[in-house]
Amino acid sequence: MIAAVRDYFGFVAALVRSVQREGLSWSASVKAAWDIGVESMPILLVIAGFIGSNLSLQGHAAFAPLGAQRMLGMFVSLAGVRELAPIIAGSMVAAKAGTQMASQLGVMRIQEQLDALEVMAVDPLAHLVAPRLAGIMLALPALVIVSTFTMIAAAYFAAVHQLGVGGATFLRFAADGVRPIDFAYGEIKGAVFGAVICTVSCWYGFHCGSGPEGVGRATNQAVVTSAVLCVVLNYLLSEVMYGG
Amino acid sequence: MVSALSPSARVLSLLSGFGRFGTFCGELGVRAVSRPFYLREALAYAGVTAARCLAPVLAVTLPCGMVIALQGLQIFDLYGAQRLLSSLVSVAVLRELSPVMACVLVAAQGGSSCAAELGSMRIKEEIDATEVMGVDALRFHVLPRLLGLTLACPILGTFGALAGLLGGYLTAVVLKGEASGVYLANLWALTQPADLWAGIFKTLVFGFSIGLVATFHGFHARGGAAGVGRAVNETVVRSVLVFVVVNYLLTSALFTDAP
Amino acid sequence: MPLTIPVPEAEPPAPVIEVEGVWRSFGENTVLRDISVDIPARRTTAIIGPSGTGKSVLLKHIVGLLTPDRGQIRVFGDDLHALPRKQLYAVRKRMGMLFQAGALFDSMSVGDNIAFPLIHHGEGMSEAQIRARVEEKLELVGMAGFFDRPTAALSGGQRKRVGLARAIVMEPEIVLFDEPNSGLDPITSDAIDQLIRDMKAALGITFVVISHDIVGTVGVADYICVLERGGVAAWGPTAKVLQSDHPMVRAFLSRNLDLDGLDGQHLPLPTARPGEAD
Repeated sequence: MIAAVRDYFGFVAALVRSVQREGLSWSASVKAAWDIGVESMPILLVIAGFIGSNLSLQGHAAFAPLGAQRMLGMFVSLAGVRELAPIIAGSMVAAKAGTQMASQLGVMRIQEQLDALEVMAVDPLAHLVAPRLAGIMLALPALVIVSTFTMIAAAYFAAVHQLGVGGATFLRFAADGVRPIDFAYGEIKGAVFGAVICTVSCWYGFHCGSGPEGVGRATNQAVVTSAVLCVVLNYLLSEVMYGG
Repeated sequence: MVSALSPSARVLSLLSGFGRFGTFCGELGVRAVSRPFYLREALAYAGVTAARCLAPVLAVTLPCGMVIALQGLQIFDLYGAQRLLSSLVSVAVLRELSPVMACVLVAAQGGSSCAAELGSMRIKEEIDATEVMGVDALRFHVLPRLLGLTLACPILGTFGALAGLLGGYLTAVVLKGEASGVYLANLWALTQPADLWAGIFKTLVFGFSIGLVATFHGFHARGGAAGVGRAVNETVVRSVLVFVVVNYLLTSALFTDAP
Repeated sequence: MPLTIPVPEAEPPAPVIEVEGVWRSFGENTVLRDISVDIPARRTTAIIGPSGTGKSVLLKHIVGLLTPDRGQIRVFGDDLHALPRKQLYAVRKRMGMLFQAGALFDSMSVGDNIAFPLIHHGEGMSEAQIRARVEEKLELVGMAGFFDRPTAALSGGQRKRVGLARAIVMEPEIVLFDEPNSGLDPITSDAIDQLIRDMKAALGITFVVISHDIVGTVGVADYICVLERGGVAAWGPTAKVLQSDHPMVRAFLSRNLDLDGLDGQHLPLPTARPGEAD
C-alpha cells in the first residue's frame, strides 16, 4: 500500500509537469465542469433537500427535550454550512463523476487507448486528466453553494410545515448560526474534495487491471478511497478552520 | 457525458427502467418464498461484505464523530453547556450518523463490489451459462447477495456507532480537554433503548435497498467493460439517493413526536 | 500458393532500431533475457515466437512504453530511455503503431480517429488539408468512404485497417504492428497480410511485425527474429532463418508452415521469382 501511495504522488507530480509542458485546454476544462455540474445537479438537489428536511427533524427531536427547539435554525445553518453541504456535494460528485472518470479511463487503459495516445506523442495526463481536474475544481464549489441553499430551504419547509416552528424565528436563528467566512470555508473544502476525487479516480483508471472485472474493481476502489479521503480531510480541515 | 436523448425519450426510458426494476423485484419475491434457499451462501456473503467494508466504515465514522464533537463544542461553548456535548454526540451517532454513514460506505464498497461482480459475470456470459446448466441464476447468484448485503449493514452500523462514539470522545476529552467523567456520565442522557432499535432498523432497510439496487444494476449490465463501470456508477448514486429519501421517511415516522 | 522468400542481401542497411542486451522481468517472471537485435532501416522485420515469449513486451520497449531493467534500446541513434520526455515525443512522431485491437477512440468517427495525430501535431495544416490526408490514407488501406462512420460499428478487420491508417497518417519512418492477425478469421487474416504487403511496396519504410502467425510473416518479412522463452533463438534474413537447424526453430516452423509435398524437409533454396528484384 505504501507503494501505491508513492505511485499516486508520482502520478500527481507527473500531472503537474505535463500541464507545465503542454498547457491546459480551457475549452475542455469548461466542458468538463459543465458536464460534471449538469450531471450531478438533479441528484444533488434531491439529496440535499431530503437531508435538509431530515436535519430539521433530527435537530428538533434532539433539542425539544432541552426546551431549545427555537434554536433549530441555528443548528441547521451551522451544521449545514460548515459540514453537511460540502460533504454532500463532495460525496455526490465522488459517486457520479469520480466513478465515471475511473471507468472511462479504465476502459481506455484495457483497450490500449492510453498507450496509443503515448505512442502518438500525446500526453494522456495533459490531454485527459488535466481538463477533468480543472473542471471538477470549478464545478464542486458551485455545487457546494447549491447544496447549501437547497438544504437550508428544505430544512425551513420541514421546520415550518412539518414541525410547526415559526418561520421568522427559524430564519433569525439561522442567520445567527453562520458567518460569511463559513461560506468561504465551505468553498475551500469543495475545491479540496474535487482535487482529491479527480486525482484518485483517474489514478485508479490509469492502473486498471484487465477485463471487465478490472474496470469494475477500479471504479469500486475509486469511489471508496475518494469518499474516505474526503471525510478524513473534512475533519482535518474543520479542525484547522474551526478548531479554536 | 450528458445524455443526448430528448426529454420525452428520457422520461420513457426512466419509466421503462422502473418497470424492469419492478419486474426484477417481483421475480425475486417469488423465489424468496420457495425452496431451495441458498442460506449458507447468503451468510458467507454477509461475512465477506462485512469484512470488506469494515475498514472504510470505521475510517469514515470515526472522523465524523470527531467533527460532531468539534462543532458541538463550538456551539456549546457559547452557551456554557459543554456538559451536553456527549449527549449530542451519542444522539447524533446512534440516530443518524452510524446508520447513514456506515451504509453509504457499504453502498460504495459492498454495493459497488456486488454490482461489479454480477456485471462482470453478466458480460462474460457466466449468468447465461448458469441458466443453461439448469440452475436458477436469480436464486443462486442474486438472492444470497441481496440477503448478505442486508445482514451486513446492522453489523457494520454497530461498529460504525462505536467508532463514532470513540471519535467524539477523542475530540472532546483527549484533544480539547473536556472532563472525561462528565463526558461519560452524560453520554446517555438523551438517548433511549428505542434509539438503538431504530438505528438497527434503519440499517436493515438501507442494506436491503443497497442490495436491490446493486444486484439489479449488476444483473442487467450491458455493453462490455464500460457497462460494468456504468453499473457500478449507477449503483452507488442510486443507492445513496434511495436511502436519503428513505432516511427522511423513517425519521419522520420514528423520531417526530418523540418524547 | 508458393511463398516468395526474399533473396538475402549481402549487407543489410544500417539499423534504425538497435536493441542491446535488454533484460526485463515482471516480479519473479523474467520475460526478456539478454535480447540483442538490430532492426535494419527500410526493411520489414518480423519478430515471431509462440505466445508468452515476450514479443509484445519487446515491442512496448521499442516505443518506450516500458523501460528495460538492463540494456539499451537506440532508435534513430538515440538511447530511447535516456531521452527527456520532449525528445521522446519527437521520436514517437516519427513512428506509428498498430495495436492489437486497434486501440481506436470509440467516441469519435473513423475520420476523427485518423486525423487525431494530425490535429495535435500537424503544424498549420488546414482542415481541408487534414481531410485530404486522411482520405488518402483511408484509400491506401482500402477503407475509402469510411470517414464519417462511427468507430463502434466497425468489424475487427476494419478496426485494424483504420488503426493502420492512423499509424501512417503522420508519414512515419517506422511502423510497428502488434499481432496484426490476432482475433481475425482466416479470410480476413489473409486480407490483412496482403494489406501489409501492399503497404510495404507502396511506402518502402521500416516495418516491425510481431506475430505468432508464421505463414503471413514469411510472405512479407525480409528479416526474421525468433524469440524463444525470452531469448533470441534465431535472427537473420528470412531465407537463412528458415534453414536454421535450431530445434526450436524447426519445431515451430514445421508446425505452422503447410508445405504441400515437402513433408517437413528443408525448404528449397530461395529464389526470386523471374522479373522481380528485391
